[in-house]
Amino acid sequence: MWMAIFRSTYGTRRLAIVLFALLLSVLFLLPGQIHLLLQYLGGPVGQVLGVPLAALSAVDRGLAELWDGYVALQHVREENEVLRKEIEELRGQNSQLREAAAATQRLAALLEFKRKGAPHTLAAQVIGRDATNWYRAVLLNKGEADGVRPEMGVITPAGVVGRVVKTTNSSSVVLLITDPNNAIPGLIQRTRDEGIVEGTAEGGVRLKYIPLLSTVRAGDRVVTSGLTGGFPRGLMIGAVTSIEKEEGALFQSAEILPEVDVSKLEEVLVITAPYGNTDASAEDLLPSRPAAKGTP
Amino acid sequence: MRAALYGAFLLALVPMQATILHYLGLGGVRPDLVLVSVCLIGFFRGELEGFLAGLLLGFAQDLLSAGDLWFNLTAKSGIGLLAGLAGRQVAHVTAAVMLAGLFIISCCSGVLFLFLARTGDLAAVALAVRSVLVPQAVFDALLGAGVYWVLEERVRDRWVLAE
Repeated sequence: MWMAIFRSTYGTRRLAIVLFALLLSVLFLLPGQIHLLLQYLGGPVGQVLGVPLAALSAVDRGLAELWDGYVALQHVREENEVLRKEIEELRGQNSQLREAAAATQRLAALLEFKRKGAPHTLAAQVIGRDATNWYRAVLLNKGEADGVRPEMGVITPAGVVGRVVKTTNSSSVVLLITDPNNAIPGLIQRTRDEGIVEGTAEGGVRLKYIPLLSTVRAGDRVVTSGLTGGFPRGLMIGAVTSIEKEEGALFQSAEILPEVDVSKLEEVLVITAPYGNTDASAEDLLPSRPAAKGTP
Repeated sequence: MRAALYGAFLLALVPMQATILHYLGLGGVRPDLVLVSVCLIGFFRGELEGFLAGLLLGFAQDLLSAGDLWFNLTAKSGIGLLAGLAGRQVAHVTAAVMLAGLFIISCCSGVLFLFLARTGDLAAVALAVRSVLVPQAVFDALLGAGVYWVLEERVRDRWVLAE
């Protein structure tokens, strides 16, 4: 057994205590200013952190590929069976969609509107997870330099993933839809009832504040209502699995199975402009017609 | 050379926490490398170095987390300072002491977070304690004690310990 004898002298101890007291005082007395200062300092510090972050995320991807390519191969046979069945189903759907696609030619104006109103997105790669265990969040390899800003929505082609809460120059933090601190306005597609989609402590998703008179039922699809800036209306969030009505409560709530498996995210799209080119005039939305010759 | 390695280690610590550490996680919970490192630095290198390391690493952790920009910066610098102060009071340093100390510090840090989060839902708090706070404290304690046990000889020779 041995005893610790430390290099620190009385002076450094006093200095450390004074500095910590100063830090606490500044945080309590000037919270706004210190927040601005930390945000300012976050730029260069984030840039420095970006180098090891990119290197380690490449190592992480390599390890994940190794795992997927070799270790996880034992599940491939069952997965192949499932995928084969899915292909059969999708072939059937495909022929129906061909029919539907032919019908859409009549709706050229609407398609044009959709093109102009479609959200502008930016593709980003998931390079890490929250640096603490307290939040369900992921890190993206795109930051302020790429035009990513806090409050922007994040999606995959399947549906909503979450929203950006913090950015550095080269990375950003996305709070996932399953985090209890996240709230996104949602809409039940069939009944048109609105509510707030929140994460739960267990890692699920719940639609709260549904009107009591709503006829919501299991299987109903929930989409974004477009009431906040980050998301346009109509992006898929998930499907209702169960409904909870408490005695005497003013609202009902529903459990939702998210459309996106947020534990297996690799690439996502950041919505930089929810409604795309919104300055299109009504005339722009009409189908373009060649001028008829000889008409008055 | 040693200073450069030390700097590189500190620089890579938070990115490591955010990227490859999930392979060590159980049930989505990983050890807090920053907390463990700051504790060890404070304990063996003194209050000032513990405080400064906590300030730097805590800020980096805040940047790569969804939480407020000040929580880890304050908590980790305080932990570094306290570890430094506690280090002076501990006469017999063993891996078991590190295990117990880190478990307590990690629990206190988690309790502080839950207190500041002001979660009114007691069921959610209980779940957070059960599923995050305690497993993380166990992880932190095991990791810290393990690192100490592995580096014990070097620590004794190089850092400051005497018979």
